[in-house]
Amino acid sequence: MKITIIGAGEIGQYLAGMLATEKKDVTLLDRDAESLNNVSSRYDLLTVCGSATSPKSLLKAGVRDADLVIAATDVDEVNILASMMSKRLGAKKTIARVRNPEYTESDAPVTPSELGIDIIIQPEMSTANEVLQLVKRADATDVIELANGQIQLIGLKIEKDSEISGETLDSMSSELEFNFRVVAILRGGRTIIPSGTDKVVKNDTIFVIIKPENVDKLVRISGHHNREIKNVMIAGGSPVGENVMKLMSREKRDWQIKLIDSDPERSYRLASENKNVLVLQGEPDDVNLLASEGIMDTDVFISVTDDEESNIVNCLMAKHLGVRKTIALLSKSSLIPLSQTIGLDAAVNTKLSASNEIHRHVLQGKVYSVTGLHGISAELLELEVGTHCRAANKPLYKSTLPFGSIVGAIINENEVEIATGKSVLQSGDRIMVFSVPQSVEKVSGYFQ
Amino acid sequence: MISSPLKRPYTSVINWGTILGVLGAFTFFIGLALLLPIVIAFIYDEDAWKGFAISAGIAMFAGGVLYSAFGQKGEVQLRDGFILVTVTWIFLSSFGALPYYLEGTLPTYTDAFFETISGLTTTGATILGGTTFEGIQNPDIDQMPKSILFWRSLTHWLGGMGFIVLSIAILPLLGTGGMQLFSAESSLSGSDKITPRFQETAKYLWFFYLGLTVLHYFTLWVHPSMDWFDALNHAFSTLATGGFSTHNDSVGGFGSVYIDVVITLFMFLAGVNFVLYFRLIRGEHKMVFNNPELKFYTLFTLLFIALISATLWLQSGYNIGDALRYGSFQTLAILTTTGYGTDDYMLWAPLPLVLLAVLFFTGACTGSTSGGIKMVRWLIIVRDIFLELKQRVHPNAVLPLRIGELIIKPAQVRTILAFLLFYIFIFLAGSAVMAMFGFDLVSSFGASIACLGNIGPAFGAFGPVENYAEVPVVGKWILSFMMLLGRLELFTVLILFTRVFWKK
Repeated sequence: MKITIIGAGEIGQYLAGMLATEKKDVTLLDRDAESLNNVSSRYDLLTVCGSATSPKSLLKAGVRDADLVIAATDVDEVNILASMMSKRLGAKKTIARVRNPEYTESDAPVTPSELGIDIIIQPEMSTANEVLQLVKRADATDVIELANGQIQLIGLKIEKDSEISGETLDSMSSELEFNFRVVAILRGGRTIIPSGTDKVVKNDTIFVIIKPENVDKLVRISGHHNREIKNVMIAGGSPVGENVMKLMSREKRDWQIKLIDSDPERSYRLASENKNVLVLQGEPDDVNLLASEGIMDTDVFISVTDDEESNIVNCLMAKHLGVRKTIALLSKSSLIPLSQTIGLDAAVNTKLSASNEIHRHVLQGKVYSVTGLHGISAELLELEVGTHCRAANKPLYKSTLPFGSIVGAIINENEVEIATGKSVLQSGDRIMVFSVPQSVEKVSGYFQ
Repeated sequence: MISSPLKRPYTSVINWGTILGVLGAFTFFIGLALLLPIVIAFIYDEDAWKGFAISAGIAMFAGGVLYSAFGQKGEVQLRDGFILVTVTWIFLSSFGALPYYLEGTLPTYTDAFFETISGLTTTGATILGGTTFEGIQNPDIDQMPKSILFWRSLTHWLGGMGFIVLSIAILPLLGTGGMQLFSAESSLSGSDKITPRFQETAKYLWFFYLGLTVLHYFTLWVHPSMDWFDALNHAFSTLATGGFSTHNDSVGGFGSVYIDVVITLFMFLAGVNFVLYFRLIRGEHKMVFNNPELKFYTLFTLLFIALISATLWLQSGYNIGDALRYGSFQTLAILTTTGYGTDDYMLWAPLPLVLLAVLFFTGACTGSTSGGIKMVRWLIIVRDIFLELKQRVHPNAVLPLRIGELIIKPAQVRTILAFLLFYIFIFLAGSAVMAMFGFDLVSSFGASIACLGNIGPAFGAFGPVENYAEVPVVGKWILSFMMLLGRLELFTVLILFTRVFWKK
């Protein structure tokens, strides 16, 4: 698969590296020779130095016969223009990173397809959306909506007074009157893909596929006290912070939202544009400021400044001052597995959000989507059961799935079923499979 | 006329040639306006036409000489605008006063000037029917020639939407510099333009002004106790929020509920920003009805009608019908700075009178013909007070001042606060001057705010059934100056008295 990536910024570099590692033919185009050198020394890919809006450079970067062109510079207009030209020059599929939401709104005068863009990605917006989900479900470490929101994948820590602590998965499913499927357990930094005989113990983080209406019950039995969220504090008016604030005010809940930003001009602009948010100008790590603005009564603290070390420190400080949940924006994805260990409740990452979005569109064939999860080395695949699949037409417990994989849910004709050992797969069903990274290829083959 | 600023060297910050040339054109235009009452003089077969003809002749001659001597040299620059607007208004009043004086209607030029500037600034303070400090008896309104009465109302109408705005609308006289004059004379600024070119904006403003005047004329004319002459004069006076009537007893003299209600309604309409009428016609209903100033103005009006009517009913012993009729009329007469009278409010109980006194300090909307401090300024000041309190609780909070969807920048708030403080300062200074002439506290305060706010009738010695005749000559000139200050919203005039203005 030939992929041209335009723009070697943070997101572009990350995507290039990730796709090159996945053995795709990646060409990276950027004006800055130094950052290209930096990437080509680390990954197996081709780099072209030139302008993103110059047709000659685009041709040199191979957009003419590219299967996919990803325009990921920091400038919306450049990405749009580069996608338009690439499409005209022969690119099969184009993905553009566009920050300004006006281009994607339903009443936009020019639709993305008219601009020659097949898919628009908004990494800052998807990251903000993840934050919003985490706020809505404050006890969870991860919340991912699947199958149009009919089921959710949530990560949940088992507290010490949890009633399911010490039980096996089999005994849980026979005792509890609602359905859920534990697809992974994170224990001491190690990921376990469980079978029915595995036990859940305190301080585990379990990843569960569940219907939204049952989440509350599950949260309760894992030992969390489902307190309501009232006060939210956002540190940093970065693009992610701004999107988080906008999404939250759009929710129209009874949330008291405060945002702290150190830049006077930016905080004035944010305050002007957002009526329902109290914008404070100051340093997010100023304890006096935090105290006078009621950090003690804050339920969720979100640190999304441009500096990831500050985000970690801010969150730890907030945790120390008694905030129930902290969410940090980490720019290095390598830090994410550490987040639980160092005491962050949840972490989000713009590059990971971008790669998740791209992944959904890049991996072709029967694989619908892959979602990389925070803090856990496993991936969620959405697959279609092929006609020659060995596991079809019999209960799941009778099939031997590849090592380290588990079926989480079955979707047939708009009906969603949480998988159990007795579930029967039919060819044509879509299934959610959880797998360790080494087995992803094997799993895709197994269900074909 | 179209000259590139790059080609013309900027030799001076004040271009006297340009100023005098444009002033000449305006003066000629004043002369044309002075010809109109001659028509009325002929209809009623009055001798007063001679006075108007002479005055018009003088104005047109002076204007012609100035214009031909200086012509159109170049664009009006920022500082030229301030000088030009102030001087034009002074010229307008000086030439406009001639007919009163030449005809012998008013024995002194001071009184003639006072009456004219009171008309042009839509104040409506009169010296007619009183005996001056120097012992000269001025004639009664009812004894005046019809053509003079017409001129009196016409000064209201010309000054209401702005004489310079009218000139801009009619004459293709000014280049881009006209915008300077436009915003110096009206309470609107460049951002209130409704069309890309200010000349078009000026035309639309005058079009709606004329349209509402015609509408008001017919609503009055259908009533049997009003002849066409009364209807025309009152239509002029109401739409300009002036206050001159053709009778000594003002609107109260007609003794008609219908007339009271119609005038109350049109006073309200004249207090609305005329830009909104344009938007309404263009179909931008949402924008009009969500306009924060209009909402505030409407609610404020209704609140004060309710309060004043209720207190009139409870404390002054009016029956409910009368309380509503006189309460709402007087509320709007003062709120919109018109100054008509249907009832002598000096005889009211203390509470309704104090409530009415509050309205002396408000004024209606920006872009209307009313004077005073204006609603939007109060709206912003009130919001600012709330934000000031909120800031005490959240010292680090960034609190932009929001009026509807609009953000008011701190610099704009500062300008408004400066305006308010300046306004209060001038009001107090004016009161002190009046007290110096021996008037009591209430009368002094009243005269000062009634002239500065372009209202007209005040309290005590200057109550609704009294007049300004007994003020000594110097006092009349000072009050005239205050009317001009109020009409041009302080800064345009006061800036001419600063040293920095005249520095290169």
